[in-house]
This record gives sequence, C-alpha cells and structure tokens, in this order.
Amino acid sequence: MARLSTNWFRAELPQAIRITSLIRLGVLLVLLTPALSFGQTKRVVTIQCDGLPYDVVDRFVQERDPATGKSQLPWFDYIFYQRGTRLANFYVRGMSLSGPSWSLIDTGQHLQIKGNVEFDRYTLQNYDYLNFVPFYVNATVGRRIDMPGVEVLDSLGIPTLTDAFPHSERHATFSLFQRGPRYVTFQKALENRFKKGPKELFDEWTMGGLAMKGSVPDQLTRELIESIADPRYRYLELVTTDFDHTAHHNNDREAHLFALKELDAMLGQIWTAIQKSPLASETTLVVVSDHGFNTDERVYSQGFNLVKLLGSPAGGGHHVVTKRRLLLNYAIKGLNPFVPDITTTTSDSYYLRKQSNEYPTAMLDFDGNERASVHLRDSDLNLLQIILQQLQHEDLSASLRRALTDQFFNTLDARRAGWQQDVSDVNEELAALHRAIERQRALCAVQPKKFTKEQSAAGLDDEAKRVCVWEDIWLAREKSYSEYIRILTNLIALRKESFNPSALKIEDLIARRSMGSHNTVHQLQNYVAGIAPGGLIVKPDGTLDMEKSFVHVDYFSLLHNLTVRNNPQAGVANHPVDLLAVRIPADLVRPLITDTEIAPDVVWVSAGSEQQALILAREDREGQLSFRYLPIKNLTEDETGHLHFQSSTWQPGLPLQIFEDPQLQLPAAAQGQSREAWLSSWHTDLEWFEALHKVRYSNGLIGLHEQLARHLVGRLVDEPGLSLDERLLRRLLRRQRQNIEADILVVASDHWNFDVRGFNPGGNHGSFFRISTHSTLMFAGGDKTGIPRGAVIEEPYDSLSFVPTVLALTGNLRDDNNPIPILWDKGFRHFPGRPIKEVLTPWQNPKTAVTGATATH
Amino acid sequence: MRICPDRSSREASVLVFVLLVTFLFPSSVLAQNARSADAYQPNQAISEPSANDEIFRLERVPVEGGAELITIHARLDGIQTPAHDSWVPLVTVLRDTLGDSSPDNDRLRYVWPLTYTRPTIGQRLSGAVPFLYARVGSRKSASGKAPPPALDLAATDRDVWNKIFWTALQSLLLDPYGIPVKASTRSYRQNSSDYRKSHIIRALSVLSLYQAVAGPETAPAFSQPELAEIQARLKLTDKTFGGLVSELNLQRYNEQQITNLRDTRGHNWELLRQHAEVESLFFEPLQMPDGSTTHAMLWVAKSDLATNQGKRYDGRFLNIANPWTDKRLLDWPGYSETRFVDSANRSVSEDTPGARRIELVPLALYGLDSPKIPALLVDFRDTFNPKKRELSGRVLQDVTRNVLSVSRYGDLPYFLGRTVFDFVTGRRGMDINQPSRLRTYSQLKLLLSLNQSLNPELREQLGNRLERVSLNPMENDMEAEAKLATEQYAALLAYAKQPDGLPQKLDRDRRAEMTKLAHGGAQQSLFRLANILSFGKYTHRESANSELESRLDLARRFAYHTYFLRQVANSGPQIDVTWDLAEVKRSLQFIVDHAPEADSKSARAAATIFLRTQDDETRRFCLESLTHMTNPKAKTELLRLSQQKDLDQAGRDLLLSYQKAPRQPTGPIAVTGEKSTTGGNRVDQ
Repeated sequence: MARLSTNWFRAELPQAIRITSLIRLGVLLVLLTPALSFGQTKRVVTIQCDGLPYDVVDRFVQERDPATGKSQLPWFDYIFYQRGTRLANFYVRGMSLSGPSWSLIDTGQHLQIKGNVEFDRYTLQNYDYLNFVPFYVNATVGRRIDMPGVEVLDSLGIPTLTDAFPHSERHATFSLFQRGPRYVTFQKALENRFKKGPKELFDEWTMGGLAMKGSVPDQLTRELIESIADPRYRYLELVTTDFDHTAHHNNDREAHLFALKELDAMLGQIWTAIQKSPLASETTLVVVSDHGFNTDERVYSQGFNLVKLLGSPAGGGHHVVTKRRLLLNYAIKGLNPFVPDITTTTSDSYYLRKQSNEYPTAMLDFDGNERASVHLRDSDLNLLQIILQQLQHEDLSASLRRALTDQFFNTLDARRAGWQQDVSDVNEELAALHRAIERQRALCAVQPKKFTKEQSAAGLDDEAKRVCVWEDIWLAREKSYSEYIRILTNLIALRKESFNPSALKIEDLIARRSMGSHNTVHQLQNYVAGIAPGGLIVKPDGTLDMEKSFVHVDYFSLLHNLTVRNNPQAGVANHPVDLLAVRIPADLVRPLITDTEIAPDVVWVSAGSEQQALILAREDREGQLSFRYLPIKNLTEDETGHLHFQSSTWQPGLPLQIFEDPQLQLPAAAQGQSREAWLSSWHTDLEWFEALHKVRYSNGLIGLHEQLARHLVGRLVDEPGLSLDERLLRRLLRRQRQNIEADILVVASDHWNFDVRGFNPGGNHGSFFRISTHSTLMFAGGDKTGIPRGAVIEEPYDSLSFVPTVLALTGNLRDDNNPIPILWDKGFRHFPGRPIKEVLTPWQNPKTAVTGATATH
Repeated sequence: MRICPDRSSREASVLVFVLLVTFLFPSSVLAQNARSADAYQPNQAISEPSANDEIFRLERVPVEGGAELITIHARLDGIQTPAHDSWVPLVTVLRDTLGDSSPDNDRLRYVWPLTYTRPTIGQRLSGAVPFLYARVGSRKSASGKAPPPALDLAATDRDVWNKIFWTALQSLLLDPYGIPVKASTRSYRQNSSDYRKSHIIRALSVLSLYQAVAGPETAPAFSQPELAEIQARLKLTDKTFGGLVSELNLQRYNEQQITNLRDTRGHNWELLRQHAEVESLFFEPLQMPDGSTTHAMLWVAKSDLATNQGKRYDGRFLNIANPWTDKRLLDWPGYSETRFVDSANRSVSEDTPGARRIELVPLALYGLDSPKIPALLVDFRDTFNPKKRELSGRVLQDVTRNVLSVSRYGDLPYFLGRTVFDFVTGRRGMDINQPSRLRTYSQLKLLLSLNQSLNPELREQLGNRLERVSLNPMENDMEAEAKLATEQYAALLAYAKQPDGLPQKLDRDRRAEMTKLAHGGAQQSLFRLANILSFGKYTHRESANSELESRLDLARRFAYHTYFLRQVANSGPQIDVTWDLAEVKRSLQFIVDHAPEADSKSARAAATIFLRTQDDETRRFCLESLTHMTNPKAKTELLRLSQQKDLDQAGRDLLLSYQKAPRQPTGPIAVTGEKSTTGGNRVDQ
C-alpha cells in the first residue's frame, strides 16, 4: 500500500506539486497524531482559589473537628485526600501575585503580565487587572467587552484555557481574565438574597444587616451548580477570593479556619452536583490557587510606606503616582472607584512644587504587598527640566547661564540619537496602527447589531462588540503615543545655536505625566532629584559641577539601608527591604563573564553591595531554559554605560540564601560534588527547581527570571510571512510591553509589606519566599477519568504545568506538548510547562497519604 | 412652665415618682433576692487546676436540685485584693443539669459577671442626672444579696421584650413630661445599660481568655458549642433584637464576630505602629495572658525631644498633642522608663553587648479593639483628652435626643445633617462622635489586673487615669470591683446553699419552663404579656409533679436532639462526609422513640437528612421517625420525599417499602442498641 502510494505520487504528479503535497501531508499527519489522552475526562470543573496555601489546607485537613469527629475540612479530605490526587509541591512560577500568577496559570505560557497594576511609562496609561468596577461600567456603555488582562493577552495573541472550549460549552464567571460581562449574576444574586424565610432574614438583619457582600459569591456557586447539571458544558470555572481576603486582614487561626470551612462546604456542594450530573464519571474537579500566603499566627505583617519614602527629601522628593489610594478606607474620595490613578503630592519636591498633577516623577505599584515595582522618571528628563527652569530665570549670571546651557545640550546630545530612533520607530508604528484602525473601523461598521438567542449563546454578539472595542483601544493608544512623540520631537529639535529658553514652554519639551525612557543602572545609582542645597556651582573651567550642583540619589543603597526604630516583634527584622532586582541587557554583561551563549536578559539581584548575584539564562533549540547563578559584588554602571562588578564566591547571605539553606537538595548525580561546585554550574530550570523548591526562597531563582526577563511568545515574535504593517504592529506591541517594565523590583523582608492602601497585618504575598509561592493544586475525578485516588505527588511542579495538564486530561494536548490542530488554529502554541504525568498516567506506585486521609466508610 | 401639659400636675408628680422609684430600685427582672451571705466555704467545691494555673482556675460547685455553678477565678496580680492571695472570682455560669450526668438535657442559665453589682442609691441618683459624665465613687461592699446575673441564656427573648417595653414606656409615658424627666430617665437607662454592657464585655473576655490559655489536658469549662452559644448570646445583648436570634445561627454569628474583632485588632495594631514610626515615637503592644494584643502604648525618647524640636508632626489617628513642641516633655516630672535596645532596635537586657540605653516618656495608651481607629484611653499629658473624645458622641446624642427632642426619624434636615456628619467623622476616622470606647475601657481594666509585666508604678498611673475616662456614675474602680467580686461570689455560694435560695429559683425557673408543656400558644402569649406588663414581677409557673418533670426532661432532650439534627440537616449536601453518622443515628433513634412528641422542625430535619445521606441505615432511621410522628408535617415531608425526582433508586425503594409496610410499634431499629442512662437509645456502630 505504501509502495503503491509512492508509485502513484511518482507517476502522476509533477515534481513541484508532489513536494508541496508531501509537505502538506506530513504536516497533516503530524497534526493528526493522536493527542495525549490518558483518561476519559470529558469535562473539567476548576475552582480557582485566590491565595490558598497548601500547607494551611493540609494542616486543617489533618485536624479533627471535635464536634463531628471528622476532618476540620471534611470535603477536602473526602474529595482530594481520599478520592483524588494532590500536589505537595506546587509553586507559583514568578511572583506570588494574583494578576501575573493567574495569567500564567490560565495561559500556560511564560509571563507577560508583570503586576496587578501596570503603567505605561510614556503615557501613564494604567492597566488595572483587578478592578471590576470600571470594566462593568465601560461594558454597560459598550466601550469594553473583556477585562484588561484578557485585552492584553488578546493583543499578544495568547489565548486562555477557557478559549480552548467553544463559547457554548464553557461556564466562566467573574475572574481577572473574564471574557464578556455577566450582568445576570448581579440580578439573580439580588433576587436570591431575599429568597429566604422571614425568620432567617430577620436573624441576618439582626446579626449584621442585610449586607449584599456574600450574595454574589453565593450566586456564582448556584450558577456553577446549575451548569454542572447541563452536560453541554465541558469546562466550568469558579473563582473564590475569601481566604485571601481573610488572611490579609488577620493572622488568626480560627478566622482562617472559618474561611476555609466555607470553601470546604462549597466544594461539597460542587462535588455533590458533579456526582448527580450525567457526566459524573468523566468529570474532573480541580482546585488550583495562584499563590501561597506568608501568614503566621504569632506575627503581624508590618507595612512600610514606600510612597512616603519616595516623597521625602532622601527619597528624591517625588510626586508619586499609584493606582490605589493611600489609606483608602479613611478617604471620602476613596469611594470613587473610577479614579484612573492617584497622585500623592509631596511638599518636599526639589523643583516641582505644586506641579504634582503635571509632573509626577515616580510610579509605584505596591499591589501584592511583599513586593513593589518602582518606576522613576528618566533622570535626564529631570536634569533637562531643572536646567530649563533655571535658564528661564532672568537673574542668572552669564557664566552660570553658559554652564547650564552647555550642560543642557551635553545631556540632550547624549540622548538625541536614541530618542531620535524612538521617534522614528514610533512614528512608523503609529502609521501602521492608524491603517489598522481604519481597517478595524470598516470591520466594525459591518458588524451585525442584532443577534438571535443561539448566536448570543455562541458568543457572536460579544465577538462583534470586540471588533469595535479594539478600534477604541487603538485610537486611544494612537492619541497618547502621538502626544508623547510630539513633545519628544520638540525636545530633540532644539539646537544650541537657536536656543532661547525664555521663549520656550517646558510642557512643550518635557512631556507632562510621562516617565520617558527607562533609567539605566547608572541613572538609578546617580539619580538627579533636584538642585543641591548649596545651589548650582560652576567649576573653574566654566562647566557645571554636576556632583555638587545636584541632589543625587542612589536608590540601591537608599532602599537597602532602610531601617525602622519600632521593632516590637521577635523574628521580624528592622530592615523592610530584602532584595532588589533589575533586568540588565546581556550585552552589558557579556564582556565581564566567561559565558558567551546567554539569553538577552540578565537579572541582577542585590541584597546589599556585598551580596549580589547575576542570574544568567540560556535557551537551547528545543526551548529548554537553563540558568546560572553568578555571585558578584559592587555592581555599578559608569556614565559611558559600562558595567563594573567584582566576582564573589558562594557564601551565606547571598540573595535568595541558597548556599546556607539546609533544605537544598542536590541531585543524586551531584554526589561527590561540593555544594559550591554544583551551584556554580549551569543547570536546566527543572534541575534547579528540584534542588531548590524546598529552600526558604523556593523557586525564587527561576521566578526572578520569569518576572524580569522578556519572553517572546505569541505576537511578540516576528514570524516569516508577515506584512510590513504586521511587523510594525508587533514592534509596537513589544514596545508597549517593555514600557510597563519597572526600573526596580523591590522585594520585602519576611513579615514586611509595602501596602499603603490600608493595612494587611494578617499576612501577605508577592515575594519569592516558599511560604508565599507554595500553592495548591488538587485533582479528583470520576471513575473513567483515571485520576489516581488517595495519592500525593511529591515531584515539584509549577504553574506552567496547569494548562498542559488540563488539556492532556481532556485529550487536547499532543505528546510533543503542542495543542491539537483545532486549538492551534485558535492561537494555542507549544506549552513550555510539563504536564503532570502522575495525574495522567495510570498510578503505578501511589504514595498513599501518610497523613490525613479520613476513612469515611 | 408646664412640663405635663395633658395631666394635672399632681397626677403627673405621682406617676413620675412611681416610675422613678421603679427605675432606681428595680430588683432586676432576672435577679432574685437572697438572704445574707454565709461565709464562703470552698471545701464544698471542686476546684480544677488549669494548665495555666498561674492565671486562671476553674471551680464547679454543685447546686441542690440538680445544677452546678461554674466559676472562673483569675489571679489579679495587678490589684490589691482582700484575700491574702490575689485570686478573684470573675464569672460564674449556672448549668441546670436536671440532676444527671447526661449533657443532653443540660441547660445553661445565668451568667454572673461577678464584678457586676447593683449600684448604690447614690450611684443610681447620679446616673439619673443628665450630663453628669463622671464617676461619683465606688460601692464599698456588696449588698449581701445574690449578685444580679447579666443574662439568662435560656430566656434571651425576655431581654428583648423588656427593652421594647421600656423603650415604649419611655417614649409614650415619660418623654411627654418634659425635658427634666425625659433627660434624667434616659440618662439613667443609658448609664444602666452601659454599666451592664461593660461587665458583659469583661465576662466575654474572661471566657475567651480562659479557653485560650487552658491546655489540652485541662477539662474545658464549657464544650465548644456551649462556649459559642454563651459568647454569641452575650455579644447579641448589644443588639435590640439579639435575644430573638435562632440558636442555629449563633455559631455563625460568633465566628463572624471573632473574625471582625481580629481584623480590627490587627488593623489598629499596624495603624498605630506605622504612625508611631513616621512620627519618630516608640510603639509598645500590651498583651493579655493569651498573647493577644488588645492595647498599646506610645512613648517618646527623651533624647529625641531635644533633637526633634519643632519637627513636623501629623497627629491624625494618634490624637495627642505634638510632642516636639511641648516644652513640658523636656523636663518631664512624671513617670519614665529606661530601656535597652540592640542594633536592630529590639528590646534587650541591660547587660547585652552593644545595648543602647534609651529613656522613654509615656505619651498615651490606646485600645485596639475599637472599630476604624485605635481608641485613645490615656493621654499622659492631658487627662481630659480621651474623656472629651468619648464625650463628643454622647453629648451630641443626649443634647439632640433628650433636650432638643430631635429624632433622626422625625426630622428630615436633622436626619440628613446627622447622616453626613456621622459618615464623614466615621469614614475619616476622626476621633469625635465615634463608637464608644466601652469595650476597650473594660478590657483595659482586665488587662491591668492580669498583666504581670507592667511596672507597678506605671500600672497604678494607668489605673488612676483610666478611672477618669469613665463617663458612668454607676461604675466602680478596679480595686472596689475585685472586692465586690469576691463578696458577691461568697453571696452567690451562700445563695446556692440555701434551700430557699438558688435551688428554689432553679425550681421556679423549671416550673416556668413547664408552662409551654402544659399550655397552648395563645395561653403562653398571654402569660408573656402579663410578665412584661408587670415589669417581670409576674411569671406564670406550673405546679411541679413527677409527670411534668419527666416531660421537662424529655422536652429538653428533644430540643437537644432536634437542634443537633437541624444542624446536621443544614450543614450541606452529604452529611455522611461531614458528620459522625453514629451520632446522627443516636439522635434519630431518640426521635423514633418519642415520635409522638416530635414537632415540625424535627420532621423537616429527618426528611432533609434522608435526602442528604447515602447510608441505608440512617435513611431507615429517618423514615422510621417520620412514619411514627403524629405531627402533620411528617406526612407532608414523606410526601415531599416521594416526589423527589433526583432521589436515587435505593432511597426510592426504601421509601416505597416504608409506604407499603404496616406501621411498626415504636422501638429501636435493628441495630445493637444500648439504652443510655439518659433514656435515649445509643446506637453502636
């Protein structure tokens, strides 16, 4: 048969057609290769729990409730400990922070969303991934159709797990990555709130008023249970945030248990509904969480106010932009959920007093609390603005005026080429964007306005609205970027020979409400914050004395040297800051290291001038990531852009404290090798993961790279065959993603946090501590799903494994980690994470839970 | 000036006099008189050592007629006590056991915070003086009568009806007599209510503390559900209709309250620490014996006073004057402390290498359990500061309501203005017009008594300053309270020993409880009305006989098992997973055994459990109980079960077999049963 076919091809088809056909056939055969299909999971119900730490769940499952004689969390015990599989070592990859973490869990692709809130440096446009209120209001007036997280992922061409299922086969409700608004839930929540007996309502009113707080989550559970009964639904999802909120507010064991009992009871309802449903034996229930929680009954988490620090004279006297209002619950204005951003004005600004609205010079995202992202305005823009302000004074001496003018143009000339390049590039990109807007406008115009019930059920109405929404989004982007570029163009157009500062308007040269380009390490170590108390000083050679004339801030030493006087809790350090991390282009590092084959991004992590490291990465042809941790000290960058640092040795006290950690587990193959030798070598991310996951900072080494490196996936990659406009639009996309990167990632010390919206004494997350990244993932399935029973998986996995595992369970993943063709067409691509094989393969050697499992029968 | 426009002045005077007398000398609706107290004879009591014997001790005293007094004693090192040691009884609870050891028919009755006493005449009169926001002296010794209980846990609804009755009486009868009567009676009621509240708060704290410090090897004073019930009921006394809340909701309410309180405490701890840090002050948390931080102090270093002169200061939330401009602090004559800290600013002993010495001056003390912001309780530089903040809300309320007669619900402009004012002051956390600091004030008294780490001189100063914060003329000082508690406990024990004392009261209470066994709903309502209209003087009671006594026993057990089954039924979709089925079957067996007594609640519970279990035997128990019940609801429930579409085949078959089978005589189902001592059938699995 095979020979016949070959002969037939040879005889009948011309050469060119034959080759093309062969290629097509090959591709087709590859794509039609049976997908990984381990069990018969036909339906997946996923409960996404915000901030559910595995250790806390496990501890309470082991405890007996004296009132019932059962586990304190009987449903967790029954479903997952007796009838399911739990992962004892499931971790967040990257920061233990909801926005980024869910984006990674939901997509199975490397991290693109880097914070709960992101700011575009050029325009201060913010991406608030957590705020539902503006989304719902905008959706009501037709300006939006998806949550901001979905918009960003759509723009990048990265689908979420829910997209793998047809609209009519998925039940997804409120989540950070919600597609389409869902009004009916509110309406029914209100109706059901009062569908109770009069006595029950009276009791509720007496006990605390008829608050609506719990009515929406209750309704969401009801809706999920209704949908479980409908066999058409193949993917169902529910998000719960109660434990996270409780654990932030207090560290009380009882309060945590109350919250978990509520979750446990909800799982009981869902499990029972599944058992009653037609697809019970083919349904898999999954509980997954986005991070752990750094909470301790004996310790209150202490807050440190970085906004105040940045506003102080020592911090640079910045007016600081945040997305969350400081002391929100104490502000009348805090009731307004539509404020785009908040500017905290300082009276200690060196040169921008009373200009906080026009010229904020720092942005801070403190969401997540155990970390903060700091953006500072391009230090050179500060310098140029200060000099311009001075030059507009008429009483300057001639020598000072000359020195200032020279310095102004020295600085401008040093940046001119780079800025000119930016202007040219962005103008090209905006032109392409403009053409795309025109096309989108035409598309929008032809979208149908009315839809049948069936069409709505298939999501066609949302699809139509989405077309028009993107026109709006792009228009806004075009406008804001054009404005930034217009003013930058004005600045670089200045020439010394025609320079007349008194005729200039500063706002026409220095963009208001913009941070400009990223700062270099040199700028961050020598940040120009204002004129020094001694005033401007001209050197004997007629040049401006840059050292003495300006207040310079070294943000690395400023943040590292922070201490507090109130240190009332044993076990809490008086240093709020643990680590600082910055992305450095590999080109700056290469001349100083022996490794030549390294990825474009190097992570510099610092715990002080003497305790620093570089995290080097490289990727082989198969996409396998490897890392090397290189201890260094005293990294600086000089004015010319050259890095300097000294090599260091492995020793205690280095960032992430790997060397001294007793939980470090070197692989068996490393026996006979010293700790130092093994740690100094390149290892794959899996090797590092297996060695490190139980140490205090767990997978922090991998997490820092995940957080700070640029991962080229989806539309961030220039593929062959793209048109020029498509390439330009992808370049614009890369620019936008790079514009949200912070200058410095600040990570808090243990039991410290940077929340200033309110107080989170109960606990926090956001750091790379194991307690914050150690998360929950459990599976339980019907008889036909093949999910092992009573099993605990010790092998470490991270959140990149979630999507491939679910797709593999449902027969949607091929054995090369690529999606099946139908998903490929939807934009799904090769998944970098390992599917959890222990859940997928028949359980050969189950590790029965040595603790916990309560026999019910 | 006419103060009684609709009546002759003579009639009015008489009426006012009568009512005032009623106010000033009310023998509590709950309390009963007792003869003079005998000496306290602890040898009759069973004293249980606690794991933390240093702080708390539990004592159980049997009461004739089948009850016990459970008392928590605390060692109050912080105050002078009359006895040689410093053990002081703080809270007593009466558990009516009906004379047996089975917990099924127990009933918790009275809660006596032993520091809660009847105010003296002087205190009562002062309490009725409008705008007298000060203590007028302490009661010197207890009256010798049994102390007044703060709550009857078995009849919380009575409290509600009393409140409603008095509110109506106040509005309809007293308020029209003009401002003097209105203001004085309202002041009296407010002070009286606050006085009770403050002791309930302390009782709650004592119960929580005892439970928290008791080790696992110690027999707890109360079971977990009992404790939740006591705590929830005590907390609900704060709500007008709190006494009517169903017992099924008590645990949830208690959990909510615990969570809210922990939120508030941690929040205030952190707010105060952060603001102390920003203002260069020192923050010191103060702990209760269980390690919970309920209060905190702020200090300033003498060395900083010199260096920070004129420093910018933001007093928001701290609510004390700027220390950097206060010349008095530079030469502070009052209390100060020397401490030593290490390089990490941690408090260390003097001989620690590298220890740095700092001289600290106390500035203020705050309570952390008050909503929104820490409540300033002591300002070392301005004694009146906390008091005027506490006064702000009370004065506003008294002036508008008692003098201007402006009501939120009767005056729209006032309603709007007050709503805005309340919202702004509340939202912004301004320390005026805030909720009363009664809770933190009461807790601080307890903390000062229990905390052994405070410097005695500082403790005395705090105690003295704290007494000045009190707005209530009925309050006693800490030392008087310790003495009163000891004396009142002795009186209570004596009362318990007298045949016509507590045993008689117990008997009367049981006979009152029997009323609902002997009378229908309409008659019971009439008795209730008579009780309210007679200011609680009249309570209908049955004549006890052995039949009624055994019916009472049965009724209590029935209530116990029904409550348990309702709890099980409401707990979720599959009770097999969440409950011990042996316990469930034991309760169902009890219902089966006494099916004719069953009410609609037990029928509903049995039917729901049938639907929520997969266990055949439990289902049989449910059907057995339903088929034997005479209550019409049982039939309805059986019908409902037969109409259930999603009932599995096994359940359907079982149901069918019961519908077809002739009714069997009541008795244990085919399981190995052992007649329990309490009369119920215990099912062994």
